[in-house]
Amino acid sequence: MEKLLLRNIGVSGSHTLATYQSRGGYASWRKVVDRMRPEQLIDEVKASGLRGRGGAGFPTGMKWSFVPKDNPKPKYLVCNADESEPGTFKDRLLIEQDPHAIIEGTLIAAFAIQSHTAFIYIRGELVFGTERLERAAEEAYRAGLIGKNIFGSGYDLELIVHRGAGAYICGEETALLSSLEGGRGWPKVKPPFPATHGLFGCPTVVNNVETLAALPWIIERGAAAYASMGTEKSKGTKLFSVSGHITRPGVYEVEMGYPFKKFLDEDCGGVANGKKLKGVIPGGGSMPVLKPEEIEKVNLDYESVAAAGSLLGSGGVIVMDESTCMVRAAANIARFYAHESCGQCSPCREGCHWMEKIFQRIEHGEGQKSDLDLILNISGNIMGNTICPFGDAAAMPAAAFIRKYRDEFEAHIAEQRCTVSR
Amino acid sequence: MATVEPVKIILDGKEVVTTKGTTVIKAAADSGVAIPHYCYHPKLSIAGNCRMCLIEIEKMPKLQIACNTQVAEGMSVLTESPKVLAVRKAVMEFLLINHPVDCPICDQAGECQLQNYYMEHNREASRFEVGKVHDRKKTIFGPNVIFDGERCIKCTRCVRFCQEITKTDELAVVNRGDHSTIALFDEAVLDNPLSANVVDICPVGALTDRDFRFKVRVWYLEKTPSICPGCSTGCNISVEAYQNKIARFKPRVNEAVNSHWICDEGRYCFHDLAGGERLTTPMIRQEGGLVPTTWDQALLTVCTGLGAAKPLAAILSGRNTNEEAFLFAKMIKQFSADAALEVFYQARALTTTQKILMSPDRSPNFRGAREMGVGSNGGGFNALMQKLAAGSYSAAFVVGEELIGANGESEKIRGALEKLAFLVVQDTRMTETAKLAHVVLPAAHFGEKEGTYTNRAGRVQRLNAAVIAPEGALQDSEIFLRLLDSAGAAQAHATPAEVFAAITREVAAYQNLEYDSIGALGTELASGGGAVS
Repeated sequence: MEKLLLRNIGVSGSHTLATYQSRGGYASWRKVVDRMRPEQLIDEVKASGLRGRGGAGFPTGMKWSFVPKDNPKPKYLVCNADESEPGTFKDRLLIEQDPHAIIEGTLIAAFAIQSHTAFIYIRGELVFGTERLERAAEEAYRAGLIGKNIFGSGYDLELIVHRGAGAYICGEETALLSSLEGGRGWPKVKPPFPATHGLFGCPTVVNNVETLAALPWIIERGAAAYASMGTEKSKGTKLFSVSGHITRPGVYEVEMGYPFKKFLDEDCGGVANGKKLKGVIPGGGSMPVLKPEEIEKVNLDYESVAAAGSLLGSGGVIVMDESTCMVRAAANIARFYAHESCGQCSPCREGCHWMEKIFQRIEHGEGQKSDLDLILNISGNIMGNTICPFGDAAAMPAAAFIRKYRDEFEAHIAEQRCTVSR
Repeated sequence: MATVEPVKIILDGKEVVTTKGTTVIKAAADSGVAIPHYCYHPKLSIAGNCRMCLIEIEKMPKLQIACNTQVAEGMSVLTESPKVLAVRKAVMEFLLINHPVDCPICDQAGECQLQNYYMEHNREASRFEVGKVHDRKKTIFGPNVIFDGERCIKCTRCVRFCQEITKTDELAVVNRGDHSTIALFDEAVLDNPLSANVVDICPVGALTDRDFRFKVRVWYLEKTPSICPGCSTGCNISVEAYQNKIARFKPRVNEAVNSHWICDEGRYCFHDLAGGERLTTPMIRQEGGLVPTTWDQALLTVCTGLGAAKPLAAILSGRNTNEEAFLFAKMIKQFSADAALEVFYQARALTTTQKILMSPDRSPNFRGAREMGVGSNGGGFNALMQKLAAGSYSAAFVVGEELIGANGESEKIRGALEKLAFLVVQDTRMTETAKLAHVVLPAAHFGEKEGTYTNRAGRVQRLNAAVIAPEGALQDSEIFLRLLDSAGAAQAHATPAEVFAAITREVAAYQNLEYDSIGALGTELASGGGAVS
């Protein structure tokens, strides 16, 4: 398969403007500015079938089209580079190795909504990535690709790279906007939605790094070429970051609809050290874990993974072999969400920590039989009742671990210790 | 004004007509359906964080918060469905797991929404046994407000109040997750002029009133709707008393006057106005000083004294009611037709935040008293004081105010008062002015009387007796009535209602009013607004 997103990865100097341009970079940007009208661009991306790669999978072109054209306020395009989902490191690769692809995608998206100020909000911990992005932006400015009167078209666009302070929640788009505004990284109650009331109350689109990085290719080759890949509803290619007990961990670009099992066994070399698979999280820490028998017929696209009872999410694949203590894994994930809950709304603020404390109690051999149903009940009380999707992100994995590995949890409680031989 | 578009919704199966743009929580409240909530407050921005107001809307897969959901034509809302009841129970549990449940020592007990909603929506034993989060206890936020972090449910009403109402921004949420807590910004003190309102809007026991704390359990309080005596804004309050003592003021909602708020100065003014050692026996001056006497003897002395010594200056307190002012004016004129008659007036400059509620004029009934005829021959209060200091009067009748120090020149006034041939002071306490009097008449204070105040904007509002005056002290009106009687001008009207009826006959601006129909929120004078300068 031809690589779209990873096409520059591994090329010496891939992060520099010279190399990027020598490989056709910024030609799409030039094409957009010179020859396309915003509506045309939106239609093109709609036709490509590109969907948001941050996790929710919302159609990108449609998201752009929600920005009101008659609103006199400035419009903002924000690239969400706050990649923090456990097990997810795909955006980081692009940020560090192919920053110009992200910038070019950001410029194209900004043009689509006729924004004159775009932001790249990058996760605080990605210090090296920030340097790379800042340097790339500087190069692009100097080359006249960003700034005033781009390519003599009269179109102005400023790009600001903003480093966050390291809160997971700031990857949630409205929390990101609160943070970018200089406030506490708290999600905002919706409605209103960012498309009409986003950054500083102005129409705003927030797109993920990977989504934006796909744009130059789509403009270069056309929507049809992109839509020819993948499945009926999941078009194009997707990055997967594979970690855990796997022979060849790393970032993979896969055509949507690729068989999950084949991907793990062949592309990634199978479970490490010849051990047996116990479970795999397909879409980052917040997604329900799948058992080996559940992935037999699953393909790597939004619909197929959802049908199996999980979600494709960010494509953060976490592989767990037979030596994994699922109690400990669940406790570890619960600890992450308890630590990262912003504390704004009651169910998440109180519920995430409560679940974590019970998981830890079980892990430490002090669990009670009733704890499992209690966690299921708490997670059910959080699900769907919070301001932002974080509540679901904490509740879903907790419930899935217990439902799918209940025997192991019960044994752990009964024996008051870990029963998984390592 | 924008046109109001009617919208019909189905609320728990019943048709409710409301207007476009209304939120479900408000539309429900307007039709008598109370949707439980913590963070929502009608005067603050929508936070949507407590999740207590989650309701079910037909055709929507997820429950929605009623505070942030606008009505739409035909929308069917369920506020008591099994799903809704289940989530309320769940939210109550979440809010209580880290709460210390220290109701026996919490001042909020009895008026706490955690208690109320727990009884209504949860009533289960706690399933939480894994160690509560601890937070700061008794943290002083400002001169009037103290914070208990463990009782806080992070509804952020206090934060939003300081951001949106006072715009003083003292408070913020700090830390994350279940360690989130409310804190002062560095160097900040919660001492804005409206600071104690955060206690009123705190739905739980996290913010309590340093003044009221530990004084009395709220269920023992007797609550009387009344008017704040602190200034001429006329904020609507509830005077709350325990064992015949005022324990606190709380704001009463009146959108035409004070909305949901009162200022701190007004809130705590009862300490000064109703506190201290009360006068309970009339006194007259004899060789060697003031000696107790009977009311009959004291009033006889007043009659004789006022008849003899002229010219007369008469000063009424701006805290006297319209009815008292009406009788006072009549009484003084009966003794001396050309007496200088003025209402005590003391103004101050206000900051922007103070101006949200406070009036420059400290007298709650300055406008009303003047309209009752107190305000003649003196050229205004300050001119009268100057003349008094200059020795232009030989007698004075002072009601309810300390004159010494009132205008900064305490020694001059003291000297002038000492030289008067006859001074009557009618007050609740032994003031510096009263010490110089020839007759001291013990009176009732604002909290012990009934009547009306007219605020700066021309709104007539009812003052009600919250406590009973001590034995020996008389109502100002009764004193005036007895003096009128002694002077041969007995009045046919005695009760506040009767006097008010007389006012409506004699004072043109009040002619269309009726005492009993003034209502809990007052009524505007037909002559309308505009402050009396």
